[in-house]
Amino acid sequence: MDLSEWRVAGIKRVQSFNGEDANTDAALKFTYESLNKSLPPPPATPDAPLAAAWSGAASGDGVDRISSLPDGILRNVVSRLPVKDAARTAALASRWRGLWRSTPLVFSDASLLPGCRADPLWRPRLEDTLGVANEVSDILAAHPGPFRCVQISCCYLDMTREDINAWLKLVADKGVQELAFINRPWPLDLPLPATIFRCTSLTRLHIGAWKLPDTAKLVRGVAFPHLHELFLSLITMKDRDLAFLLDRSPVLEVLTIIASQTDVRLCLVSRSLRCLQLGLSSLGDIRVADAPRLERLFLVDTNRPGGNKFSRIKIGKAPNLRMLGCLPPGLHELQIGNTIIDAGTKVSPSTIIPSVKILALQVHFEVRNEVERVPSILKCFPNVETLHILSVGVNKPTGKVNLKFWQEACPVECVQHVKKLVIHGFQGKKNEHAFIKFIGEAAEALEKMVVMVCFELASGNNDAKIMPFATVKWASKVIERMHFKLPRPPYQTPWGFQEAADVSCTDPFDLASAV
Amino acid sequence: MASAGSGDEKAAAAAMITLISSDNEKFEVTEATATLSQTIRHMIEDGCTDGGVPLPNVTSKILARVIEYCKKHATAAAGEEGSSSSFSDAAFLEVDRAFLEELEEFDDAFLEVDRATLFDLILAANYLDIKGLLNLTCQKVADSVKGKTPEQIREMYNIVNDLTPEEEAEIRRETQWAFE
Repeated sequence: MDLSEWRVAGIKRVQSFNGEDANTDAALKFTYESLNKSLPPPPATPDAPLAAAWSGAASGDGVDRISSLPDGILRNVVSRLPVKDAARTAALASRWRGLWRSTPLVFSDASLLPGCRADPLWRPRLEDTLGVANEVSDILAAHPGPFRCVQISCCYLDMTREDINAWLKLVADKGVQELAFINRPWPLDLPLPATIFRCTSLTRLHIGAWKLPDTAKLVRGVAFPHLHELFLSLITMKDRDLAFLLDRSPVLEVLTIIASQTDVRLCLVSRSLRCLQLGLSSLGDIRVADAPRLERLFLVDTNRPGGNKFSRIKIGKAPNLRMLGCLPPGLHELQIGNTIIDAGTKVSPSTIIPSVKILALQVHFEVRNEVERVPSILKCFPNVETLHILSVGVNKPTGKVNLKFWQEACPVECVQHVKKLVIHGFQGKKNEHAFIKFIGEAAEALEKMVVMVCFELASGNNDAKIMPFATVKWASKVIERMHFKLPRPPYQTPWGFQEAADVSCTDPFDLASAV
Repeated sequence: MASAGSGDEKAAAAAMITLISSDNEKFEVTEATATLSQTIRHMIEDGCTDGGVPLPNVTSKILARVIEYCKKHATAAAGEEGSSSSFSDAAFLEVDRAFLEELEEFDDAFLEVDRATLFDLILAANYLDIKGLLNLTCQKVADSVKGKTPEQIREMYNIVNDLTPEEEAEIRRETQWAFE
């Protein structure tokens, strides 16, 4: 095979692979991290009862005990092995011959190319990944299915276009349940074959660094009837293709989109979705039109499309929304029902979302017109118990905001249920002091206040910036003092997309602060 | 065997279960400990544990080890329930983390047994349907064969190769990629 031509083209494309595009790097890290966490544990053996028991003589007696274990147990053992080790057990003895083939396949190509997963930004040599691609073809062909989990994330898939289609056909025919299909970048916009829509048995799907197929050309009736979780990273997509995916996934509970290569616009109508996460992406208008089960709506390092126009987060019917954040009033406008929540907006029953218990806001405290929107937003969520504020600094402050501002703009009632306040990235600015003091003196139910100081503040002697808190007259009787915490190193991006979507995670924003 | 922890003692007041090994030895355990076994849990739910639970497939030696495992992990389960109600308490999370580390150390030490015992534990975990113990012991076996050739594995576990040379050649040909 002559690789010279591709290599020249490839080198041109991979220009920005190493550290030049911070957003893409971060997305790659998130993508691969989520893969590491999502490989399922082998299934417990269903055939439990009455296996037999022989009491143990000492080892070294020449008795072959392992081969007399029941099939279910041996399959359990085999399923815990990397794929090559697992397949090799067929050659042990006749007892073992059919075991690997009759164990649902759990396969990650990362086991074929060590190091690929550990460093998302590492570029393996082309020759190495060719070998991996050939082995992936062999393995998918050799195992008869079912495929419980297949992760392909180490190959330059641009090299193996003809293989990709064959792989997708194989995994579809063999009933794949969980599939991670990541085009080891580059290029980022490689077209994903529409064959993916044949994988109707999918329960979890993670695709990365692809251009979505044009869904307008698909036959009618195409759907993912069992899909619970969809993770899209570094995807190039049209609005209608994303809408199509949502529309054809009737039991989807978790949708995560990170580092979308195109602006994300979405009108959410879903009877099943419980968690929507949008991260490291530029958001156009996001409309939660009708989502009766939606509990979690997370925006993580989102941006707005080029130009100065705000994009809008509209919340229509989401009666079970419990966690919302991180809302950046400086980037996105919040609209509830038909009302845009701006400075001085009058609250009415139609602008209140009483179900939200955890709210996170990203605030530039020194940008006056942004801060002025905050009281209006707080009024819309009167039952918030945990309030996270991500404080972000600016180069040019545009106005002071003092304690009196908060006292006048923000009635005590709108923070009456706040039990916990966490300030992330505290810089010691007067405008931050004013807000923190206000909450301390207004929130009667407050039990805990945590101030995570920013990196710059943590490194010097900055007692003066903390002194103003000595005079807080707590409104709450149970709180005694505030807690100061040192930040994590800035290069760690703490949001855990996998954890945040998990119902057992009671406050994902806490993970970020390790509170 | 002494009761393992405070979570255990509370439950102890509520209910004790008697387990009877194949060699007729009796073991008193709390319901919280016993119900790590799905098999016993179902028996309790069906109300057929009066007079003790006979376990004709498990010797006293192995049952004692299984109970040791269950006691430790029942305490862990009780700890987890506690943590969800006070998730925001940093001190509690610290304790939790320390406990999880301790549990890992316990598991590692627990697996320091000869192979015959390991297989007996696997069979007992399978029979009693104790998922955690089954996973733990199967993983131990898997780790022991990882990276080994069929010849090495056969020698390790006294497996007699009853495949004809033709059959073995065929298997190697079919999955050549696994032998490279």
